[in-house]
Amino acid sequence: MISRFTYFKPHNLNEAVQYLEKEENAFVLAGGTDLMILLRRNLINAEHILDIKALPEMDLFNFVDGAGLTIGASVVVNRVVDSEVVSAKYPALHQAAASLASFQLRNRATVVGNICNASPGADLPPALLVYDAVVNITGPQGTRQVPLNEFFTGVKRTVLQRGELVVSVQLPEPGAGDKSVYLRQARLRGHDLATVGIACRLKPDGKVAIGIGAVAPTPKRLFALEDKINERGISKETIEWAAQEIREHIHPITDVRSSAQYRLQIASVLLKRGLLSLIGKEE
Amino acid sequence: MDKECSMYKEHVESGKRKVTLSLTVNGRHVVRDVDPNMTLLHFLRDNLKLIGTKEACGEGECGACTIIMNGKAVTSCIILAVEAEGAQITTVEGLAKDGKLSILQEEFISQDALQCGFCTPGFLMSTRALLDNNPNPTDEEIIEALSGNLCRCTGYIPILKAVKRTIERERKESGF
Ligand SMILES: Cc1cc2nc3c(=O)[nH]c(=O)nc-3n(C[C@H](O)[C@H](O)[C@H](O)COP(=O)(O)OP(=O)(O)OC[C@H]3O[C@@H](n4cnc5c(N)ncnc54)[C@H](O)[C@@H]3O)c2cc1C
Ligand code: FES
Ligand code: FES
Repeated sequence: MISRFTYFKPHNLNEAVQYLEKEENAFVLAGGTDLMILLRRNLINAEHILDIKALPEMDLFNFVDGAGLTIGASVVVNRVVDSEVVSAKYPALHQAAASLASFQLRNRATVVGNICNASPGADLPPALLVYDAVVNITGPQGTRQVPLNEFFTGVKRTVLQRGELVVSVQLPEPGAGDKSVYLRQARLRGHDLATVGIACRLKPDGKVAIGIGAVAPTPKRLFALEDKINERGISKETIEWAAQEIREHIHPITDVRSSAQYRLQIASVLLKRGLLSLIGKEE
Repeated sequence: MDKECSMYKEHVESGKRKVTLSLTVNGRHVVRDVDPNMTLLHFLRDNLKLIGTKEACGEGECGACTIIMNGKAVTSCIILAVEAEGAQITTVEGLAKDGKLSILQEEFISQDALQCGFCTPGFLMSTRALLDNNPNPTDEEIIEALSGNLCRCTGYIPILKAVKRTIERERKESGF
């Protein structure tokens, strides 16, 4: 590793923010499963590394009736996979977490790191998006909350400003009877990002939410498509129609993982499969 | 080619102030001054001369560098040594006791679960972490726990057999 950096692991959030604001070329380290690759390949010039794993606020992982689920920034993906409340109330998040990387990686990789890295093809954002996740940020100007839907600004870009840290991500409580599913297509399980990843949610009032990754510069909610589906009402026929209509709502690119054409096709197949499973129908 | 070579170059001293690191490796308390940019893998191999832990991809993909850190299987190539402050670490060297191989190691041998052997320390450590947390895993749970370990030689079936025989023998030994 050519990067030459100092290492700082504060126990106090204010200290962390001050450090990030003061130092040039300072990077936040959570699980390091993205950051260490960048350092190793000398793709970033890090002079300072701030390890957030000793900050008590970052370790929060709880579900409160009415308030929902809070996942602190040092909570690793395997904790989410093992959580009974996540499996019961947020199935798409459980499935997305269980599909991320390999077992060893999930022992280190954090949920918040997956968001902050802002990869278009990351697995957790589609699932977090259908639950209207909100990102809790702290920085030199105090704290602010940003809906996850507005958090990503481009490939590997977010709204985070210098000195700002994500403390946690928060998911409102779903109502009784809420259902969801996460489906992904990849070339190799455990060793590749998704070619397309899609989360579908069916709320108790019959309305759907759809989150998708790897078909745009950022993970996104397909609000316009959701509206059209909700106008028609969810049914087998609507789903058949939506599986075609989705092609008008995404604009994937061709890259090393897949052609744009294949992504369009697989998005259509996954949407159909996902929505059908939520209404208890087979293809 | 140049880029390729620099990726696999041994640790380069950063010139930054060293950090005093204190941790437990295979039951032994260790205190060393380390460079902040040294990986845990290089610390184990270069500083402690525990060369059982292997580096293959160096990027979290293959599992050759798997160790147990605070009870969890992790890939030491993408962890900084300084992150292991206060940690309890077990490497493949920690499996044999008093010069006698562990049941797990014996079964890897008896089942021909290795050929070149480069992946083996990683498989052993992923398996050990699994069985420590769950002595009676299903086939699916075994496969999941080994999902981050690649083997180019064996075709995995002998590895699965070795793990299952280990489970049997460890169960008998513990009297259940
Ligand atoms: C072999 C391999 C396979 C992988 N497979 C997958 C996969 O299948 N699916 C997938 O989605 N991802 C995958 N990844 C990517 C990675 O594991 C995930 O994105 C992971 O969730 C990142 O979390 P982390 O804690 O390791 O992040 P880190 O590497 O610590 O951080 C990631 C980025 O976010 C920033 N950051 C982290 N925490 C904060 C914070 N609290 N506030 C502000 N900024 C922060 C860091 O500065 C860095 O830029 C893979 C990576 C590897 C090496
Ligand atoms: S060498 Fe660490 S995962 Fe391959
Ligand atoms: S025995 Fe050669 S890679 Fe596994």
